[in-house]
Amino acid sequence: MRRWIAIAALAACAAGCGGKSGGKQQVVFWQFWPTATVTPIVERFEKENPDLDVVVEQLTWQAGQEKIAAAVASGKVPDLVALGSTWFPAFAHQGALADWTDSSATLQDSLRLWPMASMDGRVYGLPWLGGTRALFYNKELFARAGIDSSKGPETWTELFAACQKVNALGGGVSGYGANAGERYVLFKKFMPYAWSNGGTILSDDMKRVTFDSPANVVALRFYLALAAAGRTDQQAAIDLAFKQGKIGCVLSGAWLLKQIPKDAPELRYGVCLVPRPDTGRHLSFAGGEILSTFAKSANPTGAWRLARFLTRADNALVIAREQKSVQPAAVMPADDAYFLSHPEERVFLDQLASAVPTPNHPEWGRMEAAIETAVEEALYKRLTPEKAVAQAAHEIQAALASPQASSSSPRPGAR
Amino acid sequence: MRRPGDLGLAGWVFLSPWLISFLVFGLYPIAASFLLSFRDYSPLSAGPSPYVGLANYAEALRDGTFWHALRNTLFFTFGTLPFTTAIALGLAVCLDRAFPGRTIFRAGFFLPTVVSVVVLSIVFRGLYAPDGPLTGLFQAFGVRAPLLDPRTALPSIMAMDVWAASGYYMVIFLAGLKSIPGELYESAALDGAGSWRRFVGITLPMLRPTFLFVLVVNTIRSLQIFTEVFIMTRGGPLDSTLTVVYYLYDQAFYRFRLGYASAVAYLLFAVTLAIALLQMRWLKLAGAKE
Repeated sequence: MRRWIAIAALAACAAGCGGKSGGKQQVVFWQFWPTATVTPIVERFEKENPDLDVVVEQLTWQAGQEKIAAAVASGKVPDLVALGSTWFPAFAHQGALADWTDSSATLQDSLRLWPMASMDGRVYGLPWLGGTRALFYNKELFARAGIDSSKGPETWTELFAACQKVNALGGGVSGYGANAGERYVLFKKFMPYAWSNGGTILSDDMKRVTFDSPANVVALRFYLALAAAGRTDQQAAIDLAFKQGKIGCVLSGAWLLKQIPKDAPELRYGVCLVPRPDTGRHLSFAGGEILSTFAKSANPTGAWRLARFLTRADNALVIAREQKSVQPAAVMPADDAYFLSHPEERVFLDQLASAVPTPNHPEWGRMEAAIETAVEEALYKRLTPEKAVAQAAHEIQAALASPQASSSSPRPGAR
Repeated sequence: MRRPGDLGLAGWVFLSPWLISFLVFGLYPIAASFLLSFRDYSPLSAGPSPYVGLANYAEALRDGTFWHALRNTLFFTFGTLPFTTAIALGLAVCLDRAFPGRTIFRAGFFLPTVVSVVVLSIVFRGLYAPDGPLTGLFQAFGVRAPLLDPRTALPSIMAMDVWAASGYYMVIFLAGLKSIPGELYESAALDGAGSWRRFVGITLPMLRPTFLFVLVVNTIRSLQIFTEVFIMTRGGPLDSTLTVVYYLYDQAFYRFRLGYASAVAYLLFAVTLAIALLQMRWLKLAGAKE
């Protein structure tokens, strides 16, 4: 008898618990972080907003984009979604996302990375978290090679000299770790040098190709020199070799800050800004996550309130602190206690402040592939740096001139 | 009087679990993607997807990357097929005889089939890594890391595929060997035929239906190679491992061009069908029973 009551109660819950419970409005939120990290933040939000009930679903980076695309196609979209910055242009371009230009106007000064969340001058989401690349260097190898290991290389000249000296140590040790052999990665490792050297990809209005420039040729020549003073490999293998103490310098992400204490607690390493050319700046690649709602979402106001809460500096910092691979997109106070006590993460926060997001152009996927192919052809010595840069510029021009991305629907903001 | 082929209600009921799932998850997507291949469709686009006729097909046929991917796929298929078949047959013949420990060998060679391709790919990516356990072997051939060299990346994946697939086809050949009547071998032996003569004169011709099955199934599977590429190289370096299915995946789920990707899928289907028909004719079994 008792069992039957339990089953009946379960059945009643299954029927009733899914919808609005106790007069609360539901906010369905799709995101990528482990529930253990996100749940406490969401619970605080629910306490502050007793009329809202947040349902969190965790996506994976492998299948997430397909799942979101399928949701848009079927019309069964969540209220709030975290989008990877590389996916953003495709979703924004095709009118799937709601326009937040007006509501976000007051937040312009409290959040950074707005270009990442905008397209054609309209804002389609709030920048939530930012990820960038900085230079990791092995202090022990630096010391063995007779280089001052108290600070990282500041300029290209210093970086190249350090890589050469470390590379000369031999015994399976490489000066630099350069990427090759897989898609979607090499771009993020080459462009920081190009940007630091004043190079660009498109004009600011995204109407002209500006990639074929002496600045980019020089940057590519420098990247090839770095690769020659080290090894070329896939990202996971480079990270592993760095943790094993076999690589002197490498551009990598803040995820290493979480992995190294776990996988290689003995490793003595430092982090510094991407080295600059003698006359240039320390620029890096900016990626990250944007919180957006869909044009067809059931609860856009609830989504906005949740997005606003999540992007607040203190809440975004919770994720940065636990996961390390990202920093808050919110502008942090210069004397923030956490970053003062975590200098490596501070480097990433500083690097992010000047980092360059990729252009939110609907054909961006083709442009990125064009740059990666060209750099890789140069790495494999099939093209000279000049020809590689010219070839990439030619392909980018083709993407500008004959778009392939579907644009059958007007964007909400363009109406 | 019930006609042959008339299943009756009970027959349909028993068939229904498979039939319904086939109609919903098999036939419907096949038909829908065929219709999609004539449209400019993006899952993100709110508006209608315009009918573009054969434009998607025309674009694929003009696209050098598609042809490059098709060349890679054909190279993969016809580069692995002879090795997989020969090794599977050789193993089957060896393991058909009775000797102690036979079951262990059979199970051992079949084992890769049971393991997920994803796991195999990750393991092999480690084996092929520059500091991996086989580095010395590769360096003897002047290659530092097979997956990072555009000349050796695809052959490396092919080698793994041969290793992983041979065991499965070995089992099929073993079943084929079991169906050959022992009397044939006995009388041939009485006539003085040696073991090589018996293999060429009896085993090979009698295995013809098995060969057809192995060839066609292996060809279809190889033409659809995707997972290994997805895990190990993502099409790189320099598109040297870009296959047709990886190309269409990239178009469908990174560029959201589902219409174009569907057209590529149907072009691959046409190629597959043509090759399978040629294989059947070649083995002179086109009209024979399955």
